[in-house]
Amino acid sequence: MENRLGAAALPVYLAAGLISLFLLVPLLLPIALSVSDTPFVVFPPQGFTLRWYVAVLGERDFTDSLTFSLILSSLAALGAMVLGTPTAIGLTRHAFPGRDLIRSLVLSPLVFPSLVTGIALLRFFSSIGSHDALVNLVIGHVLVTVPYVVRTVSASLIMLDPAIEEAARTLGASRWRTFWHVTRPQIVPGLVAGGIFAFVTSFDNYAISMWLFDAENVPLPLTMFSLISRMFDPGIAAIASLMILLSLVLVLVVERVTGLQKAMSL
Amino acid sequence: MSITDRRTDLGSPWRRLAGALRGAGDGLAGWGLVAPVVLFFAVVFLVPVGLMVRWGFYRQLDTGALSDGFTFANYIRLFSVDLYRKATWTTLEISVLTTVVSALLAYPLALVMARGPALIGRILTVVVIAPMLINVVVRAYAWRVILANGDQGIVNWLLAQIGLGPVHLLYTEWAIVIGSVHVFLSTMVLPIAAALGRIDPAVEDAARTLGASSFAVFRRVTFPLSLPGLAVGSTLVFSLTASAFVAPALLGGNFVKMLGPLVQEQILSVFDWPFGAALATLLVVLVMGVNLASVGLIERRLQRKMKGAR
Repeated sequence: MENRLGAAALPVYLAAGLISLFLLVPLLLPIALSVSDTPFVVFPPQGFTLRWYVAVLGERDFTDSLTFSLILSSLAALGAMVLGTPTAIGLTRHAFPGRDLIRSLVLSPLVFPSLVTGIALLRFFSSIGSHDALVNLVIGHVLVTVPYVVRTVSASLIMLDPAIEEAARTLGASRWRTFWHVTRPQIVPGLVAGGIFAFVTSFDNYAISMWLFDAENVPLPLTMFSLISRMFDPGIAAIASLMILLSLVLVLVVERVTGLQKAMSL
Repeated sequence: MSITDRRTDLGSPWRRLAGALRGAGDGLAGWGLVAPVVLFFAVVFLVPVGLMVRWGFYRQLDTGALSDGFTFANYIRLFSVDLYRKATWTTLEISVLTTVVSALLAYPLALVMARGPALIGRILTVVVIAPMLINVVVRAYAWRVILANGDQGIVNWLLAQIGLGPVHLLYTEWAIVIGSVHVFLSTMVLPIAAALGRIDPAVEDAARTLGASSFAVFRRVTFPLSLPGLAVGSTLVFSLTASAFVAPALLGGNFVKMLGPLVQEQILSVFDWPFGAALATLLVVLVMGVNLASVGLIERRLQRKMKGAR
């Protein structure tokens, strides 16, 4: 299996290397800019200072939004896991009429323009008098993150031979006992990966949040967006760097827990 | 228990009934498991989106109230006013360009991920997926710094080092394309890499043994077999680019208008809900149309292949 690229290997590797640079440079750049000891963002960065990080951590807009986003995304990920796990089991372990239709419906937020979902929800919530921004945002975010949990949990279930579950049932275990002792341990990695993807997707969501936030509840991406247009010192790069580091930690966690390739497949 | 056992032994009609009942029980359990999600999607997805589509057929009166009944006025305005026609066209153009560029860049990465040494494959997977998890606003910010016009931009700084004049990049269609490719490249690479991974190496070996050059093997064997992955990736990238808001807003500014920012403007600044709803509906039709067409294409191909196999 080692290196099956044949004689064309060198140009392909070279191209892959250059494209990797294209992917990585914009992620490393904010880190370089954030330590610049200048009143404005400049390239190449000059000097070295961590004062922008100190300044940013004292910025109320940023810390409030960060706290709010952490709460929002945790709730959304939890909701997606609670709603997505039985869905994945139903879709992979049972045959029933309408199953393909329901699978398409549940996965549709992955391609349906979430900008439009956001508009529809904004109208809907105001027409039923639901004005709590946190509740509205959690509902909107669960809607767009459920597919990730369904995907990763389904992937774990597909790899688990149903014969093992059947064996447990034949030996007299109840449905619930079978689930708890046989199925559950097998789907935990998929569930964790799905939960992390749900969290990150919610944490980065802009298209739903831009319609459902209010003055007291502003998710972090929206604060970032408005800071970009009114803040020109390296503090904005420091915020960007903090968010990049947080995401990288999560990537490495997923890679350790399930293996990224597995988590992203299907 | 014993009674049913004896009954099932009585003959095939009973057995079939028992089988059907068991099947029905299984189906019932399946429905029970998916019922919560179906209810949730019906209430906060299907109904709100349906209502929004209906809004596109109302009209906003000058008093701010809404007209009764059913009118195509919003759609007539959408297709007759230059600004909106142009935004639709720009959206299509940028989405197609982004899809094509992503596909071109995706193959080398996917080939190395699927065929290269295991360690390099793992590293590349992290490199490809890491940007996916980084906020779109952060990435658009980085691209603003890289592409900035005048002497502040990094591209222009690099060009100046080798004595080339400044180029105008930020707030052009290409700025949006570059930013969008960066945002969605992973979405293209993963399905292609998965499709490449499913190809039986023996097929390529056979072609090579029969004297095909590396390029011929790729063009005649590997590439055609990876088409399902390319179709999935292209559909996703097109859909996501067409309905994006952040990248067009931060990289295109007021100079290049796509449908996403236009919808936002109509609803949050102009407060013309019915027209905003019509624009949003157009976006949905565009995106879902491409999705359905692509699914249809893949299925037709699969059917043809199955007929060919028989």
